[in-house]
Amino acid sequence: MYPPLTILGDTLTWLVENQQSVIEQTIQHLNVSLTSVGIALVLWVPLGLFLHEHDEFAPPVIGTAGMILTLPSLALLPLLIPIVGIGVAPAVVALVLYSALPMIRNTYTGLEEVDESMVRAGRGLGMTDRELLFKVKIPMALPVIFAGIRQAAVLVIGITTIAAFFGAGGLGESIFAGIRLDFPRQVLGATIVVSVIAIATDYGLLAVQRALPGGSEAT
Amino acid sequence: MIELDNVRKVYGDGTVAVDDVSLEVPEGETVTLVGPSGCGKTTTMTMVNRLTEITEGDVRIDGESIQDTDVIDLRRNIGYVIQEIGLFEHMTIAENISIVPDLRGWDEERKQERVEELLELIQLPQDVKTQYPANLSGGQRQRVGVARAMAAEPDIILMDEPFGALDPITRDELQDEFLDIQQKLDTTIMFVTHDIDEALKMGDRVAVLRDGELVQYDAPKDLLGSPKNEFVANFIGEDRVLKQLSAVTVREVMNAPQVGEGAGENPLSPDDSLKVALQRIFQQGDPLPVVEDGEVVGQVSEADIQAVTDRRTSEVLQ
Ligand SMILES: Nc1ncnc2c1ncn2[C@@H]1O[C@H](COP(=O)(O)OP(=O)(O)O)[C@@H](O)[C@H]1O
Ligand SMILES: [Mg+2]
Repeated sequence: MYPPLTILGDTLTWLVENQQSVIEQTIQHLNVSLTSVGIALVLWVPLGLFLHEHDEFAPPVIGTAGMILTLPSLALLPLLIPIVGIGVAPAVVALVLYSALPMIRNTYTGLEEVDESMVRAGRGLGMTDRELLFKVKIPMALPVIFAGIRQAAVLVIGITTIAAFFGAGGLGESIFAGIRLDFPRQVLGATIVVSVIAIATDYGLLAVQRALPGGSEAT
Repeated sequence: MIELDNVRKVYGDGTVAVDDVSLEVPEGETVTLVGPSGCGKTTTMTMVNRLTEITEGDVRIDGESIQDTDVIDLRRNIGYVIQEIGLFEHMTIAENISIVPDLRGWDEERKQERVEELLELIQLPQDVKTQYPANLSGGQRQRVGVARAMAAEPDIILMDEPFGALDPITRDELQDEFLDIQQKLDTTIMFVTHDIDEALKMGDRVAVLRDGELVQYDAPKDLLGSPKNEFVANFIGEDRVLKQLSAVTVREVMNAPQVGEGAGENPLSPDDSLKVALQRIFQQGDPLPVVEDGEVVGQVSEADIQAVTDRRTSEVLQ
C-alpha cells in the first residue's frame, strides 16, 4: 500500500520522466477521438435532421442508437476486428457508433422543440421548408445539437482509452501496460491526462455552447 | 380586396371550425373578426394565407383564387402577425423586421432603410436594432411583430389578436398608434380579436363569428345600432348604448344651424362622437353649435342624440 502523497509524487515524476511518450500518446489519443467525432458529426447530425422531417423513423433509430450505447466496448471492439481489421479502424467505427445516441437524439429533439410560434410565423411570412430549417429551426436548435456533440466528444475521449487494448494507441496503452506490469504511477499518470483532456473538452465546448444565442439553457 | 366565398373548414378530427362563411374585405379597409374563443377566427384568417387549407369554398384576392397563386409568393405578399407574436429569438430586431425583405432578396441598404423607417413608425428607438427580442418589453415585442408584418409593404395584412397579450393601458396605446399608422397606409387589413371593444374601435367593419358561422357583418355603428340577434346584443354588452354613442359622430345627427347663431365658447366638431357631445350638453346645456373650419355648420341637441339610441334600440327588440 502506498501513502497517497507518495503516489502522487511518484506519478508526477513518472509523467515528467516519460514526457515524450505521454505527448505522443496524447496526440494519438486526440487523433483517434477527433477523427471519430468528426465522422460521427457528418453522419449523425444529418440523420437527426432526416428524422425531424420523417418523424416515423425517429423511435426505431433513436432506440437502436440507445441500444448500441449499452454494448460494453470491451465486447464491441473484438467483434469489429474481423470485419475492419485491427488498429485504429475498429476503434473509430466503435466510437462513431457510440456517438450516435447523443448526436442523433439531440439534433432530433432540438429541432422538434423549436417554439411552434416561431415556426408558424416563419411559414406564415413565406419561408420555404428549406429556409425555415436553415434560418429558424437549426439556429434555434443549435445549442441543443451542440450539447449532444459535447456529450459525444467526452464519451469518445473516455472510450478511446479502451481502444488501446486492441491496438488503437493513445493513452490507454500506458494504462494497460501499467496494469499488466503492476505499476500504479503509470496507470494513474495516464489516467489523469485522459481526465484532463475530457474535462477541458467538456468545459471548452460548454463555453462555446453558452456563447450561442439561447445557449445558456441547453444542457 | 379579399373575398371569402362560402369557405368551410373541417379539421382532420372532424371539428367544423368554419362553416360556410362569406365576406368581403374591401380594398384599404380594416375588417375585424370577433367572437368568443374557439369560434373559428384564427382558422378563417389563416385560410387567406393558406396556413390552413380550405375544405370547401374559395378565397379570392383581387379576384384571383389563392389556390392559383404560388403559396410562398402568396404569403410573402401578405403581412402576418401571429397570435403568439413569434419573433425569431435568435435574430436581432433589425433581422426580425427585415425577414420578408430578406426572403425577397432586397439589398442590405434598402433593408436597413426600411428597418429605420419602420422603427420610427412604431415609435421604437433606433438602438433596439441590434438587440434581441428577449430584451424587449411585451409592448415593444408586439410593435416589432407588427413592423415585421408591414416590412415588405404588403397590400394585405392579417393580424391575429396582435395586442392580445398586453395590459389594458399599453393595448389602448398601441391601438391608437396603429389606427394612426393605418390612416397613412392603404392596406387591406383583417384583424382578429376576441374583444368587442377592440373590434369596434379598430374595424371599418366588424364580422361577428359564433361556432364557425358568420352571425353579423356590419360597420361598428350599425352593429351597435341594430344587433341582429340576442347573441350579438349580449356579446356587445350592457353598455351598448354608450358604445354606440362613441361610434356615431356629430356629423351624422346634427341639424341645420339656426340663422345668425355664433360659435360659442366651446363648440363641437362634426367628427366628435356623440359621447363627447352628450358630455358637453350635460355641462353647457343644449343645443350646441357645431363648427368646422371656423364656420358654424350645424347644431345638436340632447333630443337628437336620444333619437339615435331610441330608434336603434327599438329595432333590436322586434
Ligand atoms: N389543427 C386543429 N385541429 C383540430 N381542431 C382545431 C385545430 N385548430 C383549431 N381547431 C378547432 O377549431 C375551432 C376553431 O379554432 P380557432 O380558429 O383557433 O378559433 P379562435 O381563433 O376563434 O379561437 C376550435 O374548436 C378549435 O379547437
Ligand atoms: Mg385564435
